[in-house]
Amino acid sequence: MADNFNIPPFAASHFDRRTFLDALLAVGFVSTAAAIAYPVARYLVPPASGEPATQTAVAGRVGALGLNAAAIFKFGSKPGIVVRTAEGEIRAFSAVCTHLDCTVQFKNDTSQLWCACHNGTYDLGGAVVSGPPPRGLEQFVVNLRGEGNDAEIVVSRS
Amino acid sequence: MNLGTWLDERLDLSGVRHFIAEKGVPVHTQKIWYYLGGMTLFLFGVQIFTGILLLLYYRPSASEAYESVQFIVTQVQFGWLIRNVHSWSANLLIGLAFAHFFSVFFLKSYRKPRELTWVTGILLLFLMLGFGFSGYLLPWDELAYFATKVGTGIAGAVPVVGHFTLRLLRGGDDVTGATLSRFYGLHVAILPAVTTALVALHLLFVQQQGMSVPLSIERKLKPGERLPQMRFFPNYILRDVLAWYVVLAVLAALAAFYPWELGTKADPFAVVPPGIRPEWYFLAMFHTLKLLPSHVLGVEGEHLGVVAFGMAALFLILVPFLDRRASRGEPSRAFTVLAVLGLVYLVTFTIIGHYAK
Amino acid sequence: MQFTKTPIDARMKASRSRCKATAARFFRRAKASAEPSLRVLVVMVLAALLFPRGMAAQTAPAATNTCVACHATQQDQRIATPAALFSGSDVHRENGFKCADCHGGNPAATDKARAHDPAQQFKGRPAGQAIVGTCARCHSDAAFMRGFAPRQRVDQATEYAASVHGQQLAKGDHNVATCASCHGAHGVRRVSDAKSPVFPTNVANTCATCHADTTRMRGYKRPDGSPLPTQQFADFQKSVHYATLTKGHDLAAPTCNDCHGNHGAAPPGVGSVANVCGTCHAIFAQKFGTSVHKDIFDKGCVECHSNHAVLKPSDDMLAASGRGICATCHNADDKADKGAAAAVAMRGDIERLKTGIERTGALIGQIKKAGIEVSDQQLALREAGTKLTLARTEMHAFAPPQVATVVAEGDTIIAAVDKAGQNGVVELRYRRRGLFISLGAILFVVVTLGLKLRQIEHRA
Repeated sequence: MADNFNIPPFAASHFDRRTFLDALLAVGFVSTAAAIAYPVARYLVPPASGEPATQTAVAGRVGALGLNAAAIFKFGSKPGIVVRTAEGEIRAFSAVCTHLDCTVQFKNDTSQLWCACHNGTYDLGGAVVSGPPPRGLEQFVVNLRGEGNDAEIVVSRS
Repeated sequence: MNLGTWLDERLDLSGVRHFIAEKGVPVHTQKIWYYLGGMTLFLFGVQIFTGILLLLYYRPSASEAYESVQFIVTQVQFGWLIRNVHSWSANLLIGLAFAHFFSVFFLKSYRKPRELTWVTGILLLFLMLGFGFSGYLLPWDELAYFATKVGTGIAGAVPVVGHFTLRLLRGGDDVTGATLSRFYGLHVAILPAVTTALVALHLLFVQQQGMSVPLSIERKLKPGERLPQMRFFPNYILRDVLAWYVVLAVLAALAAFYPWELGTKADPFAVVPPGIRPEWYFLAMFHTLKLLPSHVLGVEGEHLGVVAFGMAALFLILVPFLDRRASRGEPSRAFTVLAVLGLVYLVTFTIIGHYAK
Repeated sequence: MQFTKTPIDARMKASRSRCKATAARFFRRAKASAEPSLRVLVVMVLAALLFPRGMAAQTAPAATNTCVACHATQQDQRIATPAALFSGSDVHRENGFKCADCHGGNPAATDKARAHDPAQQFKGRPAGQAIVGTCARCHSDAAFMRGFAPRQRVDQATEYAASVHGQQLAKGDHNVATCASCHGAHGVRRVSDAKSPVFPTNVANTCATCHADTTRMRGYKRPDGSPLPTQQFADFQKSVHYATLTKGHDLAAPTCNDCHGNHGAAPPGVGSVANVCGTCHAIFAQKFGTSVHKDIFDKGCVECHSNHAVLKPSDDMLAASGRGICATCHNADDKADKGAAAAVAMRGDIERLKTGIERTGALIGQIKKAGIEVSDQQLALREAGTKLTLARTEMHAFAPPQVATVVAEGDTIIAAVDKAGQNGVVELRYRRRGLFISLGAILFVVVTLGLKLRQIEHRA
């Protein structure tokens, strides 16, 4: 360590391998440290979706749903349907028809949930009105998070 | 004024400086085995680090555990990497721990004055197996659920205290969310606390007594002769770091080429998948128990097996006190043979257990 | 005693006073009475002792309902059984009706002659048309029925008269079913009672009692002259409807009366089968109604799906060769056969969508296990599955372009999911590449460390 402490490594008349090796080592350590620190730093930042959607899901905002209208939302890997009745009440059901798993839709002329595949019809309590479905639609619990039209519709299983 | 001087003015670091400057490591043909302990320690550090990261997102309940792991792997940035490293590192850790154990066993480093180092070490080995068993259940996937069922069932086969132990482990009569909570507590709190204490003791003993020289080499030394020493800092340290980086490279390669899969969520009411078996580090024991006849001389085979393994564990802990010849510095062929038999048995039965239907 | 239709309270009051009067009269005539009267006396005394508070209709045997008291003790089961049945679960008895309300006679009389007095409108055992008349006297009276079951229909007898059973009975055929054949006469339960022979799960068995009996059905012919078949029940038991009803416990599934009518039972005319099936399978009937087959098929839905042995349909049915149903009329080898071409086209579309869903589903499953987030894709795959079901529904219009449109929608969804799946595979490769690069950096450090070690040790 006594020699060459003034002269930059590459300017020396003979190439100082020792300091070059130290520099390489430094580069190596720093890059591997970065290769570890970078993913860890990104990991610590909370992801966009917040938390695992097993028991609850967000089904959009109140303002996006008009009266006597409905929208499909994602609940885990299955579709759900959130309905706003003519009186303004918000209800949510599983959108999976209990007959052959087609996705149901809302008919605003009859205010009923209807499956296009084989004409199954459900009322706004989820019960079967007519058609082949053997069971009613599972109804979810609806809560609102926030105020007014901006409130988030939070759907949970129980 | 550098950091060292600043600290020296406040805390007397002369002892540390002296230690670093003077400490040496014996140089001989078998010194390669010295690094195994450090590599195991490095991986333990990796496990603590990745484990803490995982528990920021993991949820220890039967209805959310699997989904939280799925969340980590699919939604959290680089969650797949942290999880992969944690899973692979666990396996490598246990592998290295066994390698370290066998190297010490063969080189007879357990002999006087290092009996306590051996005892703490054996206990650490068992703790690592405990970490593996408890951690495996945490993703709450199908294979883990049934493997835990089988494993805790075997614990129930211990005579007298078996049923109590089974209930203690499972948090009830069956493997349920209660088991998951319990295993989680074990895995992130109880085992780490005990392990940290034992590792501290183990390292303290090693630093205090220095590296042991293999018996065969020691015996060849003439009286008064000392083996050449390698400086601990920087030579041994650099080699240690090199070894750790090699381990890191293996980890990265495994995570890249054999990423850990998610499996399917545990369903307690599903049929046990055929060919269910525990992780590789329990395979030898598991397969042995499977091969035992159902009754031996009127005693249930499984009870006999479990008791035999218990006796083996006790024997292992007491090896330094039983191997009188090694303690006196004499060759101890019997224990070398035992070590060979043990290694052959473990390797063979692990392989058989892996390929058995 | 008058055979009357007075409200229950009045009748009960009248019963109780008649009870006392009868008992008084009886004791006066005791010695002069014949054997049967003695038996009746014993029973009555016992009854009076056991049930001192007088006769409510629900307790057995009524002191003023001497019919049951006498009939129940008879040796001949033809006489004893109806009495026993009526004393058990019977909706009429539970509403206060007694034997005399249907059979006439004098329920207070203690000897047979007076009990069976024709002057008291005693009918005995009604047979044939008389059964219908007995039931219809109340059940066709809307005002009367309003007092007991306001929602119950009162046109059953009219319907029955229009049915095959009714028409045969009018011709004097006593072999056919009447009210009592299906509903019972004594021990009649409500239709909603699971033990009733006309509860939905029991209807087919009840109809089969006659219609599966080859001996009984011998001699009956269809309008076209062919003998009336008797394997309908056996066929029905193979059907999806029967399985849904009995194993699935879904009471919405049809049984005999849902297609043939309750009281106006007749096979639906051949032209109206599609209407009948269409009451539940509305979309299919509507699509079929627009198709070329509507005017060609004699028997509508039945041509392909059978009438009683309606099996779970499968895509295999849609083929103009081999086991396909289209092959009954169409020939896939005939190049000029447009129907066969249509079948091949529609089947081809459906199969393509089906395999597309399976293949993409497998890809998504694979990357899901490897740790890629795929819930959106799973949702979309579900939509594609819906399109597949809709395509099978659309097929009933027998117009390949319509099926192709629905299948095309499914194909679009599958293409999008496939793309996402491929992106997932790319993401997995990207991860592997990243790790590879890190591996490179780590190995670089390993090598450099090795060199550094060599350097410091050579210096020493």
